[in-house]
Amino acid sequence: MKQIVRLALALAALVACIALSACGSGIEEPPATAAGGGGSGNRVKIEGKPSGELTISNWPLYIDKKTVPDFEKETGVSVKYVEDVNANEEFFAKMQPLLANGQSGGRSLFVVTDWMANKMNELGYLQEFEPAAIPNFQKNLVDNLRGASYDPGRDFAAPWQSGMTGIIVNKELAPDIHSICDLFEPQYKGKIDMLNELRDTVPLVMKCEGVDVEKATEADWLKAIEKIKGAAESGQIRRFTGNDYSADLTNGNVVAAIGWSGDAVQLQADNPNIEWRMPEEGCILWSDNMVIPVGAPNPTAAEAWINYVYDPVYQAQIEAYVNYVSPVEGTKEVLLKEEPEIAENKLIFPPASFTKKCSIQPSPTGEEERNINRAFNAVLNG
Amino acid sequence: MTAAESSPMRVWRWLREHAVGIVGILVIVYLLVPIAVIFVFSFNDPAGRYNFTWVGFTLEHWKNVFGIPELNEALWTSIKLAVLATVISTVFGTMMAIALVRHQFFGRRAANFLIVIPMATPEIVMGASLLSFFLILGTPALGFTTLLIAHIMFCISFVVIVVRSRLIGFDRRLEEAAKDLGATPFQTFRLVTLPLIMPGIFAGAMLAFALSIDDFVISNFNSGTTVTFPLYIFGAFQRGVPVEVNCIAMILFGITVAAMVFTTWQQRRAERLAEVRPDQEGAAMPTPPGPPVQAAA
Amino acid sequence: MAALKRRGIPYALLLPGTAWLIVFFLIPLYFMGRLSLNVNLGTYYPFDWHWQNYSDALSLYDTQFVRSFIYSGLATLICLLLAYPLAYTIAFKAGRWRHALLLAVIAPFFVTYLIRTISWVTILSDESPVVDVLHAIGLAPDHRVLATAPAVISGLVYNYLPFMVLPIYASLERLDMRLVEAAKDLYSNAATAFFKVTLPLSAPGVVAGTLLTFIPATGDYVNAAFLGGTDNQMIGNVIQSLYLKQSDYPAAAALSFVLMAIILIIVLIYIRFAGSEALMGEEAAKA
Repeated sequence: MKQIVRLALALAALVACIALSACGSGIEEPPATAAGGGGSGNRVKIEGKPSGELTISNWPLYIDKKTVPDFEKETGVSVKYVEDVNANEEFFAKMQPLLANGQSGGRSLFVVTDWMANKMNELGYLQEFEPAAIPNFQKNLVDNLRGASYDPGRDFAAPWQSGMTGIIVNKELAPDIHSICDLFEPQYKGKIDMLNELRDTVPLVMKCEGVDVEKATEADWLKAIEKIKGAAESGQIRRFTGNDYSADLTNGNVVAAIGWSGDAVQLQADNPNIEWRMPEEGCILWSDNMVIPVGAPNPTAAEAWINYVYDPVYQAQIEAYVNYVSPVEGTKEVLLKEEPEIAENKLIFPPASFTKKCSIQPSPTGEEERNINRAFNAVLNG
Repeated sequence: MTAAESSPMRVWRWLREHAVGIVGILVIVYLLVPIAVIFVFSFNDPAGRYNFTWVGFTLEHWKNVFGIPELNEALWTSIKLAVLATVISTVFGTMMAIALVRHQFFGRRAANFLIVIPMATPEIVMGASLLSFFLILGTPALGFTTLLIAHIMFCISFVVIVVRSRLIGFDRRLEEAAKDLGATPFQTFRLVTLPLIMPGIFAGAMLAFALSIDDFVISNFNSGTTVTFPLYIFGAFQRGVPVEVNCIAMILFGITVAAMVFTTWQQRRAERLAEVRPDQEGAAMPTPPGPPVQAAA
Repeated sequence: MAALKRRGIPYALLLPGTAWLIVFFLIPLYFMGRLSLNVNLGTYYPFDWHWQNYSDALSLYDTQFVRSFIYSGLATLICLLLAYPLAYTIAFKAGRWRHALLLAVIAPFFVTYLIRTISWVTILSDESPVVDVLHAIGLAPDHRVLATAPAVISGLVYNYLPFMVLPIYASLERLDMRLVEAAKDLYSNAATAFFKVTLPLSAPGVVAGTLLTFIPATGDYVNAAFLGGTDNQMIGNVIQSLYLKQSDYPAAAALSFVLMAIILIIVLIYIRFAGSEALMGEEAAKA
């Protein structure tokens, strides 16, 4: 019944809109929260102790089963945890109409990759943290993530997990794949998957071409995209996938894929022949970050959540399941006692020597971004 | 057939005679195999997240059918949406069908044409144009309301077609008889017409419901952050569709088959009760006795 | 006064439904056209008579357009070849089993479209027995069916087959068998009777079925998304990506418009060729 009332109201608003041609909030108008190039200027206002409801949007399979109930018990906040972030761009496309109007669709916290956090911040869609409410974060963030180029003061993006993009190989079927360039070898035709994420796949291919990705020009990006296009058209690449390269790998449909380090650890449990390999050219490093959007209904609880997961004990619990790279100092020590294999795993706690050739995920902006995006999506769409 | 015809020749001849039927049956098998696969795999016990290879038999997922909160929420949203869209589109569609069949008026052909066009438009164009509409106007915000608007839109045509075909085969003499017995037009409609076309209306409603629950393309474009059952599956495909989805699909399948059988049975029953036979329309009828009601006035 | 009220009744009955269709079907087409002429400024999209969207779209995505029409054309043809014998069987050779067979034809619709398509991913996965058989008879040289054009086409065939069967069946069911008997009385054999009597009389069903299959198949993107590979994506996938991933609304709207226009032209030519009563059926003639 409520829905019918809402429908009637919406229709009335619609009629008024069309009749008066006075809507002003459609996509033909410049956005209301016009950003002056950085930040919404909003800082989270902490209101007493955390309580009420908290809606979090995160990527799938990015949390263990106990953290949410434990958090609810400890703080009394009722958490609605939704795994609806499947890809940065899709999530952004869905959220943009809401965020541009200062709403977040009920979410107080969501998790997006570095470049998307940056983009959202520039558009004024995010709030700044109130540092006093997140002491654990201030204290325990690992050093190498402290000064991100897009968020030097760590004011609006708190890393949830970090990861490495490299090659996941079925070592029984393709023992000799050790570099990105190897993925283009004709003997593996039709047996390779690549990620449909622009900022993972193309920088890796640029590395194969010998480019320093952190200084890459638009021409470098486009040249790498051309190379990928050739491989797609010749049938070298079977599919461009999102999270679902795992299915192809476990089924034996492909022998190697560009993939994320955390997935590989989980896949290895299913099939010991599957392993993540550091490409000879190096990998891509990225972080997924917790951000608080404008219009968040319960930012107090959101900050309480951030504070909670930055306690090494609770982080260890998450880490043991998720198997990505933890951003919380002290987690390794906790895990050494309880689950040493995880603590010793190079993929989960990579030593600096392991990642020495890796680059931070680059991201084009402005006009460059549109051109590169268009070229890459043209390849994705066949 | 001569006695000297050999066995292989006989087989070949039998095949040739029944070729069409054999192809027909093979096509039916082809249509049903994937359903069987879905059913079988609802008992699968996959090792990882993906339900693509058979591992082992388990009843676990059937016992736990409604154990995934996100899936349940999506399913519930779909059902709510389908019920509302069905009710509204059936009302609108029935009204339109009655107008189109019973009345002659200016613009009738145009209205007929308008009904048919949505059925001949690719869903992606309908979904994309609605999205363009909502984006430019900026209201309503993409979500349940826009989904409802979209679903009502594409259901109306189908309801009209179904009810219309039911109305065309309707014996007007029953209504005339009611009028002769002194019923007002409204009473006639309520007590005679409506009950008799009810099977048609019900069939139209069922069709609308099925279309709405199953709609993916138009919903994909106009749902914003709302998740319906098909949208949930599309999103889940990447990270592994849970086995419970197969179970729910089979439950929906069972319910639909049962509903279809029920409707057909109802329809046959209604037809028998009313003894409506379209081919008798226009057949010569014995002249009725003189107007009886006037005497009571 | 009463006469006026009576005249007004059909319009009153028509009003809600027609208004809904006009506002939410016809008018959005205008808005889509308008959006296709907007310019993409990243955060907003003002109106600009930006015809460039069309030339950009056509030059970037012409492969996908052509591919979509080829796939849906092939799928429609295969559907026709499979559906006709089935419709014929149900109409003339099924007897008591007629309703059960019809139920079997519609049964796939009772399972959600997406799950039907996903089950084909299971059936056609590289190590399934089905692919083994196909490989043995030489149809799958790489021992792989998924992520190829045949996989997408067979997905389209499967999903749209009932749309072809039902209209042809409806048409065949109304066939007056006495005409066929008359042909036989005039010394024609079974084949001639079929081609000269049955087939032409079932033309309305064939036309309707072909249109009901071809039109949606061309805009389909689910089959290509699940069953296709890197170079099997259809124009529907492009439109979906542009709207829902890249937020490049003007380009997406332009592509959508072009798709609709091309389909419309093909349909008009086809109807011209096949005769318009075939499309609307006898009901339109009565109307």
